[in-house]
Formats: sequence, structure tokens, C-alpha cells
Amino acid sequence: MLLSLKKVTRRFSGVVAVDRVELEVGEGEFVCFLGPSGCGKTTLLRLIAGLETLDEGAIELRGRDLGMLPARKRNFGVVFQSYSLFPNLTVARNIAYGLECRKLPRAEIAARTGEMLELVHLSEHASKHPHELSGGMQQRVALARALAPQPEVLLLDEPLSALDAKVREALRGEIRELQKRLGITTIMVTHDQDEAMEMADRIVVMNRGRIDQVGSADELYWRPATRFVGEFIGRLNVLDGAPWQGRLDGEAAGAGEVLAIRPEHVRIVDDGGGGEPVFEGIVRRTAFLGNMTRILVETEGNALEIEVHGARKRLAQGELLRFELPRARLSRLGAASR
Amino acid sequence: MTGLALRTIRPRADADRLFIFAIAAGAALLLVLFVLAPIWAILRFSFVAPDGSIGLDNYVSYFTSARFLGILGNTFEVTIAVTLFTVALAYGFAYAIERTCMPLKRVLRMIALIPIFSPSLVQAIGLQFLLGRNGLINRTFGTELDIYGFWGIFIADTLYAFPHAFLILATALAVSDARLYESATSLGASSARVFWTVTLPATRYGIASATFVVFAIVITDFGNPVVIGGNYSVLAVEIYNQVSGQANFSMGAVVGVILLLPAALAVFAEKWIARRQFASVTAQSVPLVPKPEPARDRLWFLYSAAIAAAILIVVGVVVYASFVRLWPYNLSFTLHHYAFDVQNGIEPLWTSIYVAVITAVLGMIVVTAAAYANHHVQNRPMRLFYFLAILPAAVPGMVLGLGYVLAFNDPANPVYAIYGTMLIIAICNLYHYHAQGFLLATTNMKQISRAFDEASATLGASRLTTFRRITLPLIWPTIISVGVFYFMRAMVTLSAVIFLITPVTQLASVSVLYLDERGALNQAAAFAACIMASVVVFLIAAQLLLRIAGIRGITLVR
Repeated sequence: MLLSLKKVTRRFSGVVAVDRVELEVGEGEFVCFLGPSGCGKTTLLRLIAGLETLDEGAIELRGRDLGMLPARKRNFGVVFQSYSLFPNLTVARNIAYGLECRKLPRAEIAARTGEMLELVHLSEHASKHPHELSGGMQQRVALARALAPQPEVLLLDEPLSALDAKVREALRGEIRELQKRLGITTIMVTHDQDEAMEMADRIVVMNRGRIDQVGSADELYWRPATRFVGEFIGRLNVLDGAPWQGRLDGEAAGAGEVLAIRPEHVRIVDDGGGGEPVFEGIVRRTAFLGNMTRILVETEGNALEIEVHGARKRLAQGELLRFELPRARLSRLGAASR
Repeated sequence: MTGLALRTIRPRADADRLFIFAIAAGAALLLVLFVLAPIWAILRFSFVAPDGSIGLDNYVSYFTSARFLGILGNTFEVTIAVTLFTVALAYGFAYAIERTCMPLKRVLRMIALIPIFSPSLVQAIGLQFLLGRNGLINRTFGTELDIYGFWGIFIADTLYAFPHAFLILATALAVSDARLYESATSLGASSARVFWTVTLPATRYGIASATFVVFAIVITDFGNPVVIGGNYSVLAVEIYNQVSGQANFSMGAVVGVILLLPAALAVFAEKWIARRQFASVTAQSVPLVPKPEPARDRLWFLYSAAIAAAILIVVGVVVYASFVRLWPYNLSFTLHHYAFDVQNGIEPLWTSIYVAVITAVLGMIVVTAAAYANHHVQNRPMRLFYFLAILPAAVPGMVLGLGYVLAFNDPANPVYAIYGTMLIIAICNLYHYHAQGFLLATTNMKQISRAFDEASATLGASRLTTFRRITLPLIWPTIISVGVFYFMRAMVTLSAVIFLITPVTQLASVSVLYLDERGALNQAAAFAACIMASVVVFLIAAQLLLRIAGIRGITLVR
């Protein structure tokens, strides 16, 4: 393994921000740390970068302990959320900065800087200052600057979250493509599930300083390990109310588990039904979202969300709706985080 | 995982840690040497009785002497009176500048700041020319007004402290949320009610802050009361009398300690308040833009113009008197007083400029280093460091100066090597105004995103490289303004340095005092005019330099 995290722990004045995290990252892999704000994902990234000091545990690069190595000696490239380009230096000088710190020969620095500028398609902006560039361009410069010294690992701390939606989408593809081309091991922190699912080989879902689940986008979506993961990735109906439990007895969840179903798996029954448990509910709200309609129904005081794709006749509020919960689509999730 | 114990990890020493440690230790050592040691010396001396024994004798004799108690009473009487009056006056002025559409705001604002560019005794000398025994008023109208005493100090210190109160109150009044005013008026509140329920509460921290600042300035002021106090003695002048008049260092130290307490309390109260200030204005606030109301604006203009005129007249008369043969008898024009054929001639002005330049250069280095250490090291000892760095704000100049004499006028002390030189005067200035310079630099460093440091570190830069290539280029305009601030203060300060000068290191502001004491009022005026001119020339030069370098938005006047 290229990078191994062993019982990595970091506390801030008594509060555990990162709690005994264990993770292995392979060569050339693109890993995303995904979770809500305050889940410890950024702290974990900063620990790997050497910008925070470990309280306990170890971080190893090819088996060598990095624990006490300061950031500047780790040779990890980092891209920050925003505003981390040196405002007093031109684009080219920003990119050359890391190379100059390594005291490379001048000609080599110039060549490498030119190469990096080309890589991010910014050659014609080399002599501009950061404030003259758009946000998206600035982040591309930051990427080039981080990559210039040929780092062991590229660390991206919410690199896209300060940008407009359009630019964000374009950069997602660009970063992923660059990463694949260079084959550089990359860890990205994000709170945006779409971003993580689109870009990462593996997603690490974090909650309250701990890892809830590690897996590919499909694994997390189809087989979430915990209620938290299920609810964080995509939408989820947790069936812990009385009407469901009574009728789904055969599927009863074990201790500390809950039954859940994704909204798109709930089937509206217009005819007799297909032998699955059928329920009745009152339509409380409908939202037309173009390619699909989201319907909120209420059954004996319990809310349930249904997603219907394609055209359908509009449902009025207060209308009675019959739907079934296919047994094969039910999943059992650990109620609490692991 | 195999036997990986949950051990606590300690960072290893490396060049970076050594670098930051060296800077922090160096700055701390200097603070201990040039701030703490003098204060300690003055405390220690205040307990040494005339017969050499250690005890409370000095304090007993102080508090049993009717004369000393009178001085204490005077000091508080005049300080409280000036404080209340100045804050009220400045609030109106700041309100007129920030919240009305009166004309000539920029000019009025500039005039209000004039007293900052002049030694504190200029107001008193100006008053002498106007209201003294041989002043313009008494001579013209044959009256026998006596300005020396309470009223002299009251007027002079009000003018002297005015700009400081104004700057704080203007800042407080400048930030406002128009939405509050709109809701108040739409609810039917009269303008008086809006003032009492919105404006005043929103600026209460500013008022408290200004009150404590003015209190500290007035209670420690030496220049004005020594010139115009007459028999109405105050603590700051009494230190001077005890030390320079009677060579009674112990009693000087006692008076110093008694002066230190209220001044320090006021300063720390202000710092405490300043920390909770302006939290009410959020990013969503809509700034209030004053709307023209001709009648009201005219009234405010009259009010502000009257204050500006008072400031201008008192300073202007000093400049004017420096160009006339013999005030007020012979008002014919002459440059004779600029010949400086008395005492050391023009020499003290050059010494002052020289000292001011040394102060500015050393100040920029020391303050930047202290602010850098404070910004980058966050642990318990650094809180003490921060306290030491801002402590000088609480120490009256007279007390610090006397502390320097008591601590360093001793061949056993290593600092004795520079005692009696311009360097010790410059260092005294540096630490006298350390808090202000330090806070300027610290505030600026806080504004620089930590991401720059982190980005630089992850790219392989050492702290020194980061400082040289990133931090310094970003903060240099502020460092320049720290230098300008130090130059100005060093040019006009009188209190701290008065104990440290020697015949060869006499300073311009002290010359003004000596000339005034000898009755050579016109020459004193000429010397004061030279000081003010040097400061203004320097300011303009610095502003031009910044303009040429393309830097805007840096305030040089503080």
C-alpha cells in the first residue's frame, strides 16, 4: 500500500475530531473523503498533509512513518478550498514556487513550469496575477502548482466548493482526467455526494470523526452499511414506524437495525399489485422535477417519499394513493454508526 | 494492527521550529528587558525609603501629605472633567462627520486630526499666546484673565485628546445597519427617539472605549500641564518635579506607581471593551447613507466648524507667533526666531529627526518580529508574551522614562553601555508605543489567510522562505505605516524621553519646553513649528511613496 493510516486520532481541546481512523490507499487510486461538515474529513486530510499534528496513531508512506515529518518535507501536493494562490506572485511564479523551494536548476524550473501551464491550459496567462483570473482558473493554477514538484500524493481540500455550479462540473471532469493521465494517487475531501460519486474510485464516508463505510459509489448506494450512509448517499425512507413494522414482520430487522427503502423503489399500484405488501397513503405534497416527480405520502402519521420517473398524471393533494414496498428492495441497516 | 500503542506524539525539533523559537525568544527577551525591567525598577524604588530601608514609608508619607493628596485630587478632577467633555464634544463632531450631509467634511476631519502631529505642549503654548498674562485677549481688552491652572489644562488637554476620541467614535458611528433605522422610522419613531434607541446603544462600546482612551491620555499627559498648569499640579508633572527638581527618585517612583494604576486600569478596560465591539454588524448589514436635511446639516456644520476653528486657532497662533518679532507687542514679520541662536541651536531638531528615524527602523523590525511570533506560536507562554507586548500602552511615558533611568543608569546593567545615547532614547520610544505598533501589525497578519502559510509549507518552503517571499511582500504597507507611526510619535513625544536626554542628545520637543520655561515663547513656537513641519513633510513623503508603489487604502494617521 502506498499510504496507510493506523489508528489516526486527533483531538481539539477534548473533542475528538478524528477517531482511530484506519485506511489504506493504493498507488494511483482516487479516494474521496465524504461527509457532512464537522465529520472530521478535512482534519484527516490535514493530518495526512502534515498541517495538523497527530495525537495518536501513525501515517505511513510506503511503510515509512510520516508522523513527525513537517508538511514541507512530505512532498504532498495540496490544493485548498480557495484563495491559496500567493497574491503577490504571477501565475508562473506561483507554479514555480515549489520547484524553487527544492532549489532545482533554473532551466529545469522554467521547463517544468511551462509544462504545467500547458497541462492546465493556462499558458497565455502565465504572467498574470491571481486576482486577474476567474475562480476556476485560479483553482487550475493551484492544481498545477501542487503537481509541479511531482508529489507522492495529491490532496484536494474541497477544491471545487467555492466555485459556480457550471465551473464546478467542468473542473470535476478535468481533475479526474488529469489524475488518470498522471496516475497520481489522490485524496479529495468533499461534502458533495455527486462530486464524490462521479470522481472517486473509492469513497470513504465519515461521520463524527470515524469511517462509516468505504467502497465504490455503487457499493455505497446499493449496499449501505449504516443508516447514516444510506441517508447521506441518495435519499432513503427509514421504515421504523408502526404501520410498516406491523406489515413487514417477515422482514423484521435485527437488534440495532432498521429497514429502509429508497424512494425510487416504492411502486405505485394502479391495479391489483404484484403480491408485495401494499399500503395506502394520502398525498401530502408533490414536486415536479422534470424527469421525475417526487411524492410525499402519509400513512397513519408516517411520512414516505416516492419517486416516479417519466410522465404521469398529476396527483392532487389529499388524494388516496396505493403503493407497494417490494421485499427484494428492502435493506437492513445498522441504526447507529459503527 | 500489530502492537501500535496509543502513544502521544511529540513533534521533533527542526530548522523551522528553531527559527520561530528564536524569534519568539528574542522578542520576549527584549520585552522583558525594556518593558518589564523598568517597571520592576520603579516598583522596587518606590519601596526604598530615604534612609535606605525597604518599606511602605514613601507611600505613608505620600498619603499623609496634604500637598500630595491635593495633587492626586487635582489629577482626577481635571482628568475626569476633560474626559467627559471631550467625549461628548467628539461624539457630536463624529456624528456630524458620519451621519449628516454637512459640507467640507474632509477638511473638518483633517483639522480635527492636527493635534496628533504636534507635541502635547503645543496646545498649552497656543493658549498662552491667546489667554496668557501677556496673551492676545488680555492685551487687547485689558482684562486680567488667568488661564494658568485647571482651566488651562482643561482646554489644552481637551484639544489634545480630541482627535483620539474622534477617531474611535467616528469608527463606531461609521458602521451602522440601515435596516435598523428603517424599521425604527417606519414604526413611527421620532428622530430623537431613533437616536436614543438605535444610534446611542449601537455606539456604546465606542463611547466606553473613547472614554477610557481619553482618560488614559489626559491622566498621563505631561506637556500641557507643565506649561499651563501653574500651581495646579498633577501627578505627571509631579514626577518631573520630584526627579528633575529635587532628585528624589524614590518619591518620583511612588508618584509614578500611583499614576500607573489608574492609567493601566483605563487601558485594560478599553482593551477589554474593544474585544466585544462591532459584533452587532454582520455581513448582511446595509450601510446607512445619510440623507441631506439642509437645516439640520447647517447646525451641525456650525458646531463642527466651531470646534475645528478652536483647534486651528490654538495651533495656528503658535505658527503665527513664530514669525513675529515679539508676541503680542510687536507683530511685525520676522524669521529671526528660526535662527535658533539659543542653547544648542537647531541641533535638537536634527537629533529628534535622527532619533525618530532610528525609532522607526528599529520599530518596524521589532514589532514585525513580535507580531510574527505572536501569530505563529499559540501556546500558554505566548499569552504572557501578548500581555507584555501590549502592556506599554498602560504605562505612562513619565513612568517608563523614569523606569529606564532607575533600571539602566547603573554600570552593572548591560544596557548601561548605551545609556545616554540616542539609541536608548529610540528604544524607549519603541517600547513606549510598542502596543500600538504591535496591534497594527498583528491585525494585518490576521487578515492574511493562513492558507498561504499552509500552501507554502506543503510546497516545501521553510518558515523563513515563506516569510521572505509571501508574508513580507503582503504586509509591507502595514510595516511602513508602523514606521510612519513611530516616526511621528518619536518626533512629538516629550514625557518618556525627558529623563533620558543629555546635553548632547537633547530633543526638539524638550527644547520647546526649555525655551518656554525660560520665557522665550517666540523661539519655543518656532521650534514647535519645525517639529510639526517635519512630521507633515515626512507624512506626505511616505504617502507619496505608497502612492508610487501603487498601494492604496493604508491609513498613515492613527
